[in-house]
Amino acid sequence: MNWKKVLAVVRREYVERIRTKAFWIGTLIIPFLFIALIGIQIAVARKAGGERRVAVVDRTGHLFAPLQAEITRLTTPSATEERIRPAEPDEVERSASEYRRNIRWQLENRPASGDLENVKEELRKEVVAKKIHAYVVLDPALLAKGRVEYYSTTVSEFSAMNQLERAINQVLLREKIAARGLPVDIANDLEKRIDLRPFKVTAQGTAEEKGAGIVAALVFFFLMYSTFFMYGYQVMRGVIEEKNNRIVEVIIASVRPTELMLGKIFGIGLVGLTQYLVWALVATNLSLPAIAGAFASGSDMIPKVPASLIGYFILFFICGYFMYASIYTAIAAPFNTDQEAQQFAMIPMVMIISSVAVYPAVLNNPSGGIAVVFSLLPFTAPLIMFLRTSLSPVPGWQILVSIALLAATTVALAWFAGRIYRIGILMYGKKPTIPEIVRWVRYKPGKVSQPSAPTAA
Amino acid sequence: MTDYPIEIDRVSKVFGKFRAVDDLSFQVPRGTIFGLLGPNGAGKTTTIRMVMNITAPDSGEIRVLGTPMQRATQNRIGYLPEERGLYRKMKVLDHLYFLAAIKEVDRETARNRIGEWLDRMELRPWLHKKVDELSKGMQQKVQFIATIVHDPDILILDEVFSGLDPINTALIKEYLLDFRKRGKTIVFSTHVLEQAEKLCDEICLLARSKKILEGNLKELKRSHAAGQLRMSIAGSAPDLATLAGVRSVTPVNGAFVVSLESGTDRRDFLRRALELCEITAFSDREPELEEIYLAAVQNAGIETRQIE
Repeated sequence: MNWKKVLAVVRREYVERIRTKAFWIGTLIIPFLFIALIGIQIAVARKAGGERRVAVVDRTGHLFAPLQAEITRLTTPSATEERIRPAEPDEVERSASEYRRNIRWQLENRPASGDLENVKEELRKEVVAKKIHAYVVLDPALLAKGRVEYYSTTVSEFSAMNQLERAINQVLLREKIAARGLPVDIANDLEKRIDLRPFKVTAQGTAEEKGAGIVAALVFFFLMYSTFFMYGYQVMRGVIEEKNNRIVEVIIASVRPTELMLGKIFGIGLVGLTQYLVWALVATNLSLPAIAGAFASGSDMIPKVPASLIGYFILFFICGYFMYASIYTAIAAPFNTDQEAQQFAMIPMVMIISSVAVYPAVLNNPSGGIAVVFSLLPFTAPLIMFLRTSLSPVPGWQILVSIALLAATTVALAWFAGRIYRIGILMYGKKPTIPEIVRWVRYKPGKVSQPSAPTAA
Repeated sequence: MTDYPIEIDRVSKVFGKFRAVDDLSFQVPRGTIFGLLGPNGAGKTTTIRMVMNITAPDSGEIRVLGTPMQRATQNRIGYLPEERGLYRKMKVLDHLYFLAAIKEVDRETARNRIGEWLDRMELRPWLHKKVDELSKGMQQKVQFIATIVHDPDILILDEVFSGLDPINTALIKEYLLDFRKRGKTIVFSTHVLEQAEKLCDEICLLARSKKILEGNLKELKRSHAAGQLRMSIAGSAPDLATLAGVRSVTPVNGAFVVSLESGTDRRDFLRRALELCEITAFSDREPELEEIYLAAVQNAGIETRQIE
């Protein structure tokens, strides 16, 4: 291995990519998109407020008035909200409660007499005609079973539905208290709920977890995920481009295929790290908090990132990137066009996506069976082990085994990719078949007693 | 230093069922321009790739500068493949620096050599242009500079003149002759025989994966044309064919090519010919390379129609 030559290749790959407009546009646009996305979400959440005309079919005959009073009380500032939650609400809650107050409920009492099905049919038409947003049926029989039926074209407004549910519960609670002859004030006391506040315990101490740590871990998780895709794909494109350009033969006359491959993978990986560095600088130094601040309630959501998270991130990024880049190299080498390689590019894609498929399970139980298995399996280890380390302490041996397996797989894949690459990059014309590629891997040059040589087009 | 910088010893290469090179042996003497000739598909490029250690031979041995190809040797060779290409998005100067760097030429030396050649080839205005803004001919020039930027001891050029205009062809020819004068060696592959004829000292002729002729071009020509004379005659043409010892007389461009039977003394023939007519010019006939080539192909039992 001549590292001077590898370095020359690294340098070329790096400098040429860093110089492109595409790199800078991508680097600068992605954070903006990210911020814009958060902004849009906040804006949409706010927009989710507004008027809600809801028809109430009160078959009990006495719940409508207290319900209307209660919902007004709930949506009036400085009412129950502050009394129920005396502790200073954190950002997430504040923004949630803010927009809850933005809903203006318009309850309409509808006659409950007559056939219920007829009434419901009428109301259904009104809902469809958008005269009302929804209708609720308060039926004694159903209430006894602890159920109230809510009908609307949109049944995914959990926050709004939650508010209505809370109001109805409150009304029922008061009713029950009154029925027992207890003072009504007691309802307010009874309504108080405890708030389970998580504190994350680490070797360094204890810190209140406001969800920001998890947000940071997930941001990094998806960052790594998309980089494996983007830069793995770039490696693939790079290999095919060299073949297409026919430059590869000139280079192979000076550089060994393995050196060229390593140089390419290192160079493109460095481009990825540079992109991260730019983002980190932007985020820590200047504009990000300011920009986020423009979205008012977003500012405190910018997570404070612990050093260990960054350490693990870099470690698993390097291992994972190298592994996937090797796979992409092996896939690219035999083919002459992106299209031909595309079908095989599905293989690493599925591997990368499988990490995303299991991450909710890992989030739920970072030390559970699924989490442990997928954090040890080399193809999912980079993403899943990284996520685990950021969620809860992982036993040292698991981290070591995970990295050892990952490293071994990476070396094996790099070797395998190198063999395919060495022969594939000089093959033009006809698309090779799988058995031919297998022969390339087994092919030993210079041995007199070798099996049949690779097929040229 | 060995007298034969490149030695090819009973080398064969098979691709699947296709035998690209069949039991090929030749040696390239130092300080010569060696022409590897033959029609398309004869095995020239495969042979060159094996010399460059890009593909390995199935059997046989190749020695470059006395040993099988080594890393250090690689840096002493300048290689211009037939399938050439450049990174399209790179700037000319950066590209040349990169190709110099992978030959381990330090930047200072590279800068000087590149500068000199950019001037010679009038490429300086294009220094900071991207490769894909250059015409094909200009890209060829850039490629040639890249091939010689490390001042190699051996040049291996696969169809070096294809796509070049006459001015740059002359420039490169001049360089090649100067390169040889410095005791360096050039292997030069082409299917254009006129180019080979003007440049090569030694040739190896391939057809259908096999060597069919090899040797010093001058000697080959001499032996091929042994007993052939070229004569120009004033006045009407006499019947030279009636003279003793003459095999045939062929009119060529206003002159005659006289083929003598072996054992015929040339002075004898000349004396008798002078009695018949006035001879204005008389010389050994120099055969065209093409003639030698076709004869060799015919001798090898391959019909020219099949290979061209």
